[in-house]
Amino acid sequence: MRNRKEALVRSILLENYESYYRLAFSYVHQEADAMDIVQEGACKAMAKARSLREESFAGTWVYRIMINTAKNHLKKYERERGTLREDMAAPEKNDVDLELREAVDRLPMQEKTLIILRFYEDKPLAEIAEILQENLNTVKSRLYRTLEKLRRELA
Amino acid sequence: MSRKERVYQNMKNVKEHTMVAEETKDFTELENRIMAGRESYRNIPVPEEMERRIREATAGQGAGNRFRIPAAVAAAVALLIVLPNTGADIAHAMGNLPVVGKLFQVVTFRDYQYESERFDANVEIPQIVVEDVKENTGETAESTETVQGEQTEEFRKLQETVEQVNFDIDTVTDQLVEEFKESAELGESYGSLEIHHEIVTDNERYFTLKLSIYRGAGSGMESYKLYTIDKQSGRQVQLKDLFREDSGYLDIISEEIRDQMRALMAEDEMKAYWVDQTDIPELNWEGLKEDQNYYFDADGNLVLVFDEYEVAPGYMGAQEFTVEKAVFEGMLNG
Repeated sequence: MRNRKEALVRSILLENYESYYRLAFSYVHQEADAMDIVQEGACKAMAKARSLREESFAGTWVYRIMINTAKNHLKKYERERGTLREDMAAPEKNDVDLELREAVDRLPMQEKTLIILRFYEDKPLAEIAEILQENLNTVKSRLYRTLEKLRRELA
Repeated sequence: MSRKERVYQNMKNVKEHTMVAEETKDFTELENRIMAGRESYRNIPVPEEMERRIREATAGQGAGNRFRIPAAVAAAVALLIVLPNTGADIAHAMGNLPVVGKLFQVVTFRDYQYESERFDANVEIPQIVVEDVKENTGETAESTETVQGEQTEEFRKLQETVEQVNFDIDTVTDQLVEEFKESAELGESYGSLEIHHEIVTDNERYFTLKLSIYRGAGSGMESYKLYTIDKQSGRQVQLKDLFREDSGYLDIISEEIRDQMRALMAEDEMKAYWVDQTDIPELNWEGLKEDQNYYFDADGNLVLVFDEYEVAPGYMGAQEFTVEKAVFEGMLNG
């Protein structure tokens, strides 16, 4: 049983690590840190695989671990440096809509996560609610608020 | 529902529907704009190193978990050094020790070293040797020899246990070395393996050998295996054997450890343990296991030993918690 859960979590990690990496990178704008986050999250997920109760939620569960690992990482970093890193946006060659990209980048972590998962990763709202352990309506209204905010900024 | 109410309800529905439609429409432009950025998001380059590191992180957790497939890899890299039997040293040490009773020694008959650009291993494979030191003379009966029927039944039992423990150590270490060899052979990623040992307890009653295992690279995995032998009964003792089954020792000691975790976290905000976690409750430590690694310290307190990631995030490293004698004394067996 335990091995089956581990195997499941392992396959999820191997299949989706690029998505986790891009999400982490969007938070920290730095390759090394993003890789640290994903690796630490993966270790946590593996170490805790056996405590996973519902196998059908394994995917959202791993996502949640990744996001929380990133959150802790950011907290720790802010404590160490006392500031947020904003100046490290990756050099983007073909970024047509720099304005939008910067607006998304400026969003707080939680709102950024919503935009990325919904639009860039194409996740249904119900799944996002599951990942964030929030009520579906909360997620919906938060997403609309975030869109409002973006629209104002881009106006 | 009256007719009036129904009409009102319909109107409301229509109105709400329109509002949603308007809202959606309102965002269409923005959503399209965001969607246009999807490509550039998906083009965020993922460093090659990431794949290696994710494979590392997902590898080798859990006992007996073999994920690397090729079995038919030649093991030419293996360099197995058979050390000279250290019996002479033991005999020498014995001569100088005024000990009477069962003398435990740990010797390293085998070790495994490997070094390449990306792989390195430093493994010592310890074996326990127990001797019955006779009164007056200081003469010894080596466990590996059968000394003409002089050994007591009790000592034979002890020897059996020691052999079993040695066999377990061999099995565990051999498997780790095999896994290491396979990945070194394949040459994919990089890695290291370190196995060292330490006698953490050797008092009148108990002998405990601690095996420290480090696997991986970067943020690797530190784990432990502790073997405790009861010198009185001649048996190996797991945590569950120490306590009366009905004493509730698992819950009581687990809660004591949780209290210590809470105190440590309150003291130092950089410390984190998997206790009272609300954001990912699944991560919370589930409590002691019946075969949890442990040993007794010099004062007779119980020290619980945890692998890395078992009770705390990786950056905290492996953890040990000491539980005072007074907490568990009343629950002990016999």
